[in-house]
Amino acid sequence: MNKKANGYMGKIMRVDLSLGKIQIENIPHAVYESFLSGMGLAAYLLYHRIPAGADPLGPDNILGFVSGLLTGTGSLFTGRWMVTGKSPLTNGWGEANCGGNFSPAIKRCGVDGIFFTGISPKPVYLHVDDAGAELRDAKDVWGKDTVETEVHLLEKANNRKARVACIGMAGENLSLISGISTDKGRMAARSGLGAVMGSKNLKALVLARTRRIPVHNRDEIKRLSKICNNWVQFQPPFVPGFLTGPIGAILRIMPAVITQDGLLYKILLRKWGTVSMNQISVEMGDSPIKNWNGTSADWGFSKSISSNPDVFTKKETEKFHCYSCPLGCGGICKTRGRFSETHKPEYETVLSFGGFVMNQNMDTIFYLNELLNRAGMDSISAGHAVAFAMECFEKKIITTRDTQGMELKWGDTEAIEFLVKKMIAREGIGDILADGVKMAAERIGNGAQKIAIHCGGQEPAMHDSRNDPGLALHYCVDPAPGRHSNGSGLYYEMYQLWKKVKGIPKMGPGYLKSSKYKKNIRHARIGKANSQYLNVMNGAGVCQFGGFLGAKRIRIFDWLNAATGWQITPEQYMEIGTNIQTLKQAFNVRQGILPRENRLHDRLLGLPAQTKGANKGRSVDVDTMMKDYWELFGWDRETGIPSQDIINKVDIDYVGRDRIASID
Amino acid sequence: MGYNITEACIGCLACQAVCPSNAILGEKKKQHRIDADLCIDCGACGRVCPAGAVENPLGLIAEKIRKKDWARPWFDMDICISCNICLDTCPAGALDANMQKVGSRHLFPWLARESSCMACTFCAQDCPVDAITMGPRQSGPVTRKN
Repeated sequence: MNKKANGYMGKIMRVDLSLGKIQIENIPHAVYESFLSGMGLAAYLLYHRIPAGADPLGPDNILGFVSGLLTGTGSLFTGRWMVTGKSPLTNGWGEANCGGNFSPAIKRCGVDGIFFTGISPKPVYLHVDDAGAELRDAKDVWGKDTVETEVHLLEKANNRKARVACIGMAGENLSLISGISTDKGRMAARSGLGAVMGSKNLKALVLARTRRIPVHNRDEIKRLSKICNNWVQFQPPFVPGFLTGPIGAILRIMPAVITQDGLLYKILLRKWGTVSMNQISVEMGDSPIKNWNGTSADWGFSKSISSNPDVFTKKETEKFHCYSCPLGCGGICKTRGRFSETHKPEYETVLSFGGFVMNQNMDTIFYLNELLNRAGMDSISAGHAVAFAMECFEKKIITTRDTQGMELKWGDTEAIEFLVKKMIAREGIGDILADGVKMAAERIGNGAQKIAIHCGGQEPAMHDSRNDPGLALHYCVDPAPGRHSNGSGLYYEMYQLWKKVKGIPKMGPGYLKSSKYKKNIRHARIGKANSQYLNVMNGAGVCQFGGFLGAKRIRIFDWLNAATGWQITPEQYMEIGTNIQTLKQAFNVRQGILPRENRLHDRLLGLPAQTKGANKGRSVDVDTMMKDYWELFGWDRETGIPSQDIINKVDIDYVGRDRIASID
Repeated sequence: MGYNITEACIGCLACQAVCPSNAILGEKKKQHRIDADLCIDCGACGRVCPAGAVENPLGLIAEKIRKKDWARPWFDMDICISCNICLDTCPAGALDANMQKVGSRHLFPWLARESSCMACTFCAQDCPVDAITMGPRQSGPVTRKN
């Protein structure tokens, strides 16, 4: 293999916040060859460096900001940056993934990742420019929201190359559902890593270096990028937004489905962004309603029409492209009221504060979107917390005495805004809810645990596992549970991996919906391939929406070879995905998590099956799928624990502390 | 091997003033040197050196060029895909992406700060769809505004 660092920088920055010390550490090529960069590099380092039983909000936890191997190489859809650490929500592997323009800024600092340990005695932010790296006093921005912080720090940096990632009030207040923001509202939201940043008294990172990113074969990368871009630019006219609901209804009625080509989703994304799925998902049964207890029949066409995608694009004044993205699914919307503009709300936010809490008022959603972005709070988890509180109120587990007199009725916009504001400020009932539904249920007691919907502590996303059993598998089996982004049956269809990788299940032109619910080891094989590929994408820094174009159109494996100079086959890259998944699983086991206990809430599995709506009569046998999945990875079939032999097989020699190259 | 400053250096600090990555070390009237770790091979130092003291990575002496004759990026908005790669790759921060075409909500890049441009050509090199061409001022090879 080529031993020159190409594609990756071959170094990380280590910041000890307790001592105020910043160091650069060389990382051996072997680490990249076994785990890639990005999430893979972080999995390797955190597995070795976070001790068992570390307090997620204590000094031993390591918070890593990593960029992908393909970021900055001229490839497309490769602007994702990731935050990693031990999650305070799940007490296991924590990861959050974000776009915007921050990812290349990490690599232009000459490193593939920045890893923080310890706790600063006072609020600080990391400033890196060509003059060096230093921790600076953050007293001017502590207490400010994410937009104010970013604007202030950019002005202060007075450097046009500067990029900022920061926490808002939620992270400062150690809310366990807080995230990290960049570009005034793009959010690395999941796993509660904003609280980890807050616990370290780290307000922000300001990165403004200009290093060149080395690439083995730039011409080949450009050739592959042009192929990819040709598919992205293919954009035939599509139906108006109000017809997306009826399309979803037709798809719901059909007993069989055509294997979905991701190109269709690309067309929707380019036209509307993720909100394109608002009504289709409800009608198909993909979107959970009323704290996972309702059905598509409770949120029928007449109600979901309020969230039809044209509502959002009408307010969109400009498209927002993340770094290296030719698609531009994001947007900037003009709004009325307290905030003059906001990032176009994502599907997850619209549904979390739409059908999930029975709210039809989209103005409220625009407002809450900006409020949560500025506070730095995860809108999926916040929506779950609101729905949980409303159901607690409905079932009289909590009363107006607990809510300062506010009646928490489903769909009441005043009550929804009240709860969100209280959560951000950590006041009253908000203080109870601000750490997610699992913690809130434990605090409330009185049977509240039965209606707290989470996966090992993490609130699941707005995609219903009863509609796609592959989601159920990934919700509970992944080391960072509760993510729709981990994989699903539909994702596998869109990835079209079998066209590039040998030995994995092939999809025909269509299938019966009922086949998804029958026991078949094929489901676990698909799940394994999803996990492997996602790990490769996260190692490379690839956006999943790019991945949905299909493996022959977005040639991630070929890009990786062109960037690094390696000659690795797609099958070998998938094995790298196995290495990463195994270390993340081993990380969880070391931290005391028993994978088999991470079973989903019955509502997510259709136990009992719903009696109406799109998911009527559907139940998911996730136990068999989990065991099959673990066995395919070579882990213990009953417990999900990888043996030491398996870990030794994928792991490589420990990176010693003697590799520190220089001190800035 | 990257750029190098030879003994012909007269210590005028001209290169230090234009270097976008602060890679040039030295004092007035003393031979400067380039910090290889910081240098990004943009070549700006060679284009301004009055003494012909800068060697390029091929070992050839870089030629001084009057700044008004430096090549500038020209953007073809019909090819551009608004991916922001050029904005990030520009070491001088000379580009902005706030240009809109009629009927499009996508934002396109342009040379917003011409005086900052180093003529490094990184934007054209890194553009994944070859929408950027380097050319002399006011005689762009493409039809769109630069």
